[in-house]
Amino acid sequence: MSSEQSSENKAPLGADLVIPALALAFAAYFFFSIADLAWEAKANGILIGTVLVLLIAIHLVRTVVQVAKRRADLGLAPLLEPRDALPRRIGLVLLTVVFIAAMPWLGLTLSLFLGLGAGLYLMGLRKRSHLIWTPFAVAASAYILFIAVLSSDFPHGPVENAVETLAGLFRAGRP
Amino acid sequence: MTWDFLVGQFATQFGLWWVIWPAILLGIVVGILPGFSPQNTLIMLLPLTLAVKVEVALAFMISLYCANHLAGGIPAILVKIPGSGGAAATTLDGYPMTQKGQAQQALVLCFTASVFGGLITTLATLALLPWLSQIGLVLRSVEMVVVMLFGLTLIAVIAAKDFLKGLIAGFFGLLIGVIGTDHIYNTPRATFGFLELYDGVPLVPALIGLFAISEALVMLEEKMIVGKEGQAKAVSAQWAGIIDGLRLSVKYWWQIIWTSFVGLFIGIVPGAGASIAAFVAYQQSRLWSKHPELYGTGIPEGVIAPEAANNGVTSGTLVPTLALGVPGGSTAAVMMIVLQYHGMVLGPRLFSTNPEVAYGVFVAMAVAYIFMIFTILPLARYMSRIVLIETTYLAPIIVLVTTVAAFGERQYAFDMALALVFGVIGYIAHKTHYHVTAILIGIILGPLFEQYLVRALRISQGDITILFSSTLGNVLWALLVLSLLLPLWRGWRQKKALAAEQFGEER
Repeated sequence: MSSEQSSENKAPLGADLVIPALALAFAAYFFFSIADLAWEAKANGILIGTVLVLLIAIHLVRTVVQVAKRRADLGLAPLLEPRDALPRRIGLVLLTVVFIAAMPWLGLTLSLFLGLGAGLYLMGLRKRSHLIWTPFAVAASAYILFIAVLSSDFPHGPVENAVETLAGLFRAGRP
Repeated sequence: MTWDFLVGQFATQFGLWWVIWPAILLGIVVGILPGFSPQNTLIMLLPLTLAVKVEVALAFMISLYCANHLAGGIPAILVKIPGSGGAAATTLDGYPMTQKGQAQQALVLCFTASVFGGLITTLATLALLPWLSQIGLVLRSVEMVVVMLFGLTLIAVIAAKDFLKGLIAGFFGLLIGVIGTDHIYNTPRATFGFLELYDGVPLVPALIGLFAISEALVMLEEKMIVGKEGQAKAVSAQWAGIIDGLRLSVKYWWQIIWTSFVGLFIGIVPGAGASIAAFVAYQQSRLWSKHPELYGTGIPEGVIAPEAANNGVTSGTLVPTLALGVPGGSTAAVMMIVLQYHGMVLGPRLFSTNPEVAYGVFVAMAVAYIFMIFTILPLARYMSRIVLIETTYLAPIIVLVTTVAAFGERQYAFDMALALVFGVIGYIAHKTHYHVTAILIGIILGPLFEQYLVRALRISQGDITILFSSTLGNVLWALLVLSLLLPLWRGWRQKKALAAEQFGEER
């Protein structure tokens, strides 16, 4: 009973170490990448990197002391809680990866329409009208602003090509 | 410059309302979206600005530019997603105000600080142009190193709650900011082999990832982004909220004025911009405040300072552009191209050869700000209702639309993936209380700091004492030390007073 209680009261400091671990790995890579450069190119990075490594070392010592005194453990709970949101969160990240990968083929408008429809479904929305009209409104707005008004270089897909062909036919048909 | 000339200029600009209004609306729409900076928009619209008369092109570009600076604060306040780097500091107090059910007041403060900050500095620029144009010459790399340090000390301020974590976040950001080729030999550093990182980490994907995507990933834990009290206030949003925001703006009029001048002076320095101005203004505002401990909890001063400063920058960046022919920023560079296309030779002679253009720029800016306040203020009531949209809708829309926006600045698909990577880093930072603003300050100011530092050291052939070689630089160093010592002295005085109080009670 008492061991259960003490484990509940322990602060999960493992999650706190993720950013320092990323920073440390990046600092190591940074030092490796600048090893052969002239001093002007590396002075600033070495200064910043060294301070960063020192700060991380202090943080590590602080964490080890907390764990040794049994006030904390190396749990990752803060990153994973609340558990019910985790599948949606991971799903949204994966969906974004697919969205980025598919945009060169599907074009801005269609990929945004499909991606957003899938995203809303993933969030638990089941009302068909909302699943269609919300992505349609957003994708149409994006088309109007980014492609029709600003003529920016977003990838073109079936929708953009079809609109361009229709516009071309319309222009050709005018006297 | 006579009064008749000025009155004529104002009359001309008011007559261009048909250009100014659409430009303001476009600037607001584009400014709300992170990733679409005014310079990108102006580049895309170059065919339009090159085809019309120079006065019309100027009115259009200036109105869009100013509206864009104002609009960046809107998503920063409502959903903690700054529309630009200059609005990143606005999230610190703007979003907490929204969470307290004061979104409408925060928006009004943002609008009034932006408009009046911009207007006051524009009029000041008109009056003091010959003197202000000298500032760009006086502030050299040595002085700029200290100005950058003013901004960087904000990391320590943000880190106040957990100093070690704050510093780790800030230095992590600074190291990320060093990615890219160095300023002397152009050798790549820590680019992971990606050519897209040779110019350094692009600000827009970092901003979108750290703020927008990470915030969306966090917000889906709750049904709404504000609590029940905030929802009730948003539902019953009345014009009284706007009037209350205006009352607060009047109450903090002096704050608007002095922080907008911080923006003006920083804007004059070529290369410095709205981000550094907003961070420095926020840091200075907190430093001189009677209640610095309340900053970050959602107070009006925390919204006013960065917003007034980032709009104070708008007139500042145009000073070196017109007076010296040196663009004060990337948007000013685009405007320079348009002016040169129309046959204007920029530099001191512009004021005698084409005064209607040289002074007309600032008159156009003043008129744009006047139009802007009447356009945007009534919208605050309706904008504040965005907090009533369920996170089921908001989260996927924010993630996908801002990922698209990440493409906007450089038109690289790589930047969308980079935004996602920063999104995951930002999410971890959010959940483990490493301040994402501290990371962003490092990413923004790191490269600028290095650029000025290396330039100064290069001039002195590595002699670090050059940093203390100018009078103005030394004055700035003294102010910087004062900025660092003042909070410590205040803390010590408060402790002493508390101890004396307790001693008195015991007796």
